[in-house]
Amino acid sequence: MLPEPAATSQIPERPAGQRKVAAATLATFVALFLVSAWQTGFSVGDLATGTGDFFRFFGRMVPDWSYLPKVWGPILETIQIAYLGTLFGTALALPLLFLASANTTTDRVTLAVSRSVLTVLRSIPDLLYAALLAPILAIGPLPGVVALTLFSMAVLAKLGSETVEAADPGPMEAVRATGAGRNRVIVYAVVPQVAATMTSYILYVFEINVRASVIIGLVGAGGIGQDLLARLNFFAYGDVSTIIVVIFVLVLAIDALSVWARSKLI
Amino acid sequence: MRDAAPANASPAASVPTPPPQVRRANVARAGLVVTILLLAVVTVITLDLPSLERVARGLKNNAVPLLRGFVQPRWEIAPLAFSSMAETFFMAVIGTTIGAILAFPLSFLAAGNLLGGTRFAVPGKTVLVAIRTFPEILLAIIFVAATGPGPTAGIMAMGIHSIGFLGKIFADVIEGIDPGPNEAIRAAGGGALLVFVWSVVPQVLPEFASNVLYRFEINLRAATVLGLVGAGGIGLPLIQRLQFRRWEEVSMLLIVIVAFVIVVDALSGRIRRRLV
Amino acid sequence: MIEFRDLEVTYPNGFKALKGIDLTIPKGQFVVIVGLSGAGKSTLIRTVNHLVPPSKGDVVIDGRSVGGANRSELRRIRSKIGMIFQTFNLVKRSSVLRNVLAGRLGHVSPLRGLLGLFSKHDLGLAHESLRRVGIPEKAWQRADALSGGQQQRVGIARALAQQPEVMLADEPVASLDPPTSHAVMSDLKRISREDGITTLVNLHFIDMAREYADRIVGMRDGVIVFDGTPDEATDQAFEDIYGRPIDEEKDLRGAA
Repeated sequence: MLPEPAATSQIPERPAGQRKVAAATLATFVALFLVSAWQTGFSVGDLATGTGDFFRFFGRMVPDWSYLPKVWGPILETIQIAYLGTLFGTALALPLLFLASANTTTDRVTLAVSRSVLTVLRSIPDLLYAALLAPILAIGPLPGVVALTLFSMAVLAKLGSETVEAADPGPMEAVRATGAGRNRVIVYAVVPQVAATMTSYILYVFEINVRASVIIGLVGAGGIGQDLLARLNFFAYGDVSTIIVVIFVLVLAIDALSVWARSKLI
Repeated sequence: MRDAAPANASPAASVPTPPPQVRRANVARAGLVVTILLLAVVTVITLDLPSLERVARGLKNNAVPLLRGFVQPRWEIAPLAFSSMAETFFMAVIGTTIGAILAFPLSFLAAGNLLGGTRFAVPGKTVLVAIRTFPEILLAIIFVAATGPGPTAGIMAMGIHSIGFLGKIFADVIEGIDPGPNEAIRAAGGGALLVFVWSVVPQVLPEFASNVLYRFEINLRAATVLGLVGAGGIGLPLIQRLQFRRWEEVSMLLIVIVAFVIVVDALSGRIRRRLV
Repeated sequence: MIEFRDLEVTYPNGFKALKGIDLTIPKGQFVVIVGLSGAGKSTLIRTVNHLVPPSKGDVVIDGRSVGGANRSELRRIRSKIGMIFQTFNLVKRSSVLRNVLAGRLGHVSPLRGLLGLFSKHDLGLAHESLRRVGIPEKAWQRADALSGGQQQRVGIARALAQQPEVMLADEPVASLDPPTSHAVMSDLKRISREDGITTLVNLHFIDMAREYADRIVGMRDGVIVFDGTPDEATDQAFEDIYGRPIDEEKDLRGAA
């Protein structure tokens, strides 16, 4: 017969710390959820009724295609806002990202300041920028472009500086050894290494910006969102559905385009 | 003159021309840059932009008080700012939890390597991507119209959007697992359910948790603006003060939002680094 | 005793991996199967526990037909067959003990298995298995914190926790360096001896096959081309198995 185990009293105990951490984590999350539900007045029943209401509402929303010709102008404006926001954001992010990378900026104060500014800028969502800028810069596409510019700049500079910091230091050392200063090191050793990744990030930010530009009109920052809100306030649900369908198609098309462009990069 | 000199005397003369495919790539790249810039110029011209005077007036009347507010925030509304930010936070917690719980089963259907193979995977992923296409604020508008204003509308909007986002990522994680341990459990006499609990779940759980936290960071930002359309959170007091141009109070609310988001990001980032 | 009876395996893509295998392995024998990759070694080993079901023929273990077993019978048969893999196949982020306990899953009720409620007996077996492969102190560490050789020992411990009558090892040392390989092979051999476990090992290296095997089976293109004792397995015999001179293929020698 096969050997039986030795006396079971020899089984070593599980280290106490592991079990405590696991139990404490679980308890924290359950408590957090319960407090959140209590504070927001949310119940699981709301989930069912909410979903029911949603689909009943959605069922009434049959697209009214006669509104379609009126959609194209604002849709074009939406794309234009996303395009300019991405472009200007990129232009501003390119110098900034090198200021925020530890391997291209050795001055610790500059590094800390540029990183902090980017962190603060990134903590504000694009729609909030638009809401703040619309009263300042007049209702219309301008606050939208500026909002997306600020947001894209912060995101791209952050992603870019992470890429730059991950770059191979070998070529940088080689260029520095020829007597080149910081700017030349960046141009000849860093840019070629990060160009492809950065381009892919720019396309990614463009995708985000298209999604953002369809909604910033809700706060008066131009694009199709303005028309969406207006039709909604008139309870013109047929028109609203038409707009939503067009938005849906636009976002999917831009995503597909971006995926295709990124596949060309590699 | 130069032609008369021996070839090795003038380095410039001996430089070989680049092969045609390199030249074509350079031309294509230059063409792309020119196109991008031309498009930008056309866009700026055709866009409906306000006059310079209007922008200058707007900056003077509104931006100056807003910036002044950052230096001298209205502390009287700090309690309101904190309590509505807390509500925002709680909304994000519930929205993310709902999204994660519902995305969990869906992602196993959408992953091509476990249940039923590609039969469910293609339609499953299509549905998840389609859900993700709708920005949560758009969903929030529909929920506010359907069920009335308040945090529940915002929670539902975030929950649904998160299902799409997390479901797609979860499915990708599941497709990336190591099939070896599954085989080991089967070889030891375990059925499909035991393979799931003993091999699949422990492999995917840390990455699932990390992505849920990441989604929570995004949802917290999103939740700060859901109030703009009446779906609960700090966005409502913010938009009210924006409408009445009470810039110093807007500044106070902004400070609380920024501080909260930065702290939560930092905490969540630390936990995520420990998870994977 | 394991009997392979006129065994054939054809994969869905049409590839014929095994073309009629007849082989009888008496209880307690330590058999090493050699051959080039693609010769059918892995497939042969996996037919024993039906991880690869045969297209024709049958495997019979101690008089029980594996092919004729229904699902729950198959699970019971598998629970008595330990298996060790080239890539260890541990759940890397789980603890060593949890990986070893997975070997008990076929022996406990499904509900207990799902909830991870193991008896003192099961826990004792898991720790005992770890002790026998020489790493009892690693029980609470994460599996990926261990070295390759230690991870393969966890794999052996998992198989041992099954209290197996048959042990299958698919290239158990191919991912390890030569000294570690020898240590793992002698562990396997010692355990097979001590517990009287019938063991089938796939190996790439001929020197190791000669050193540890009671019996060597050579395969080529899905058929058995050699079957004999290590003494009979001369260099000439190996050249026939591999179909080319072995001196050019230094890696096949695998000496430490």
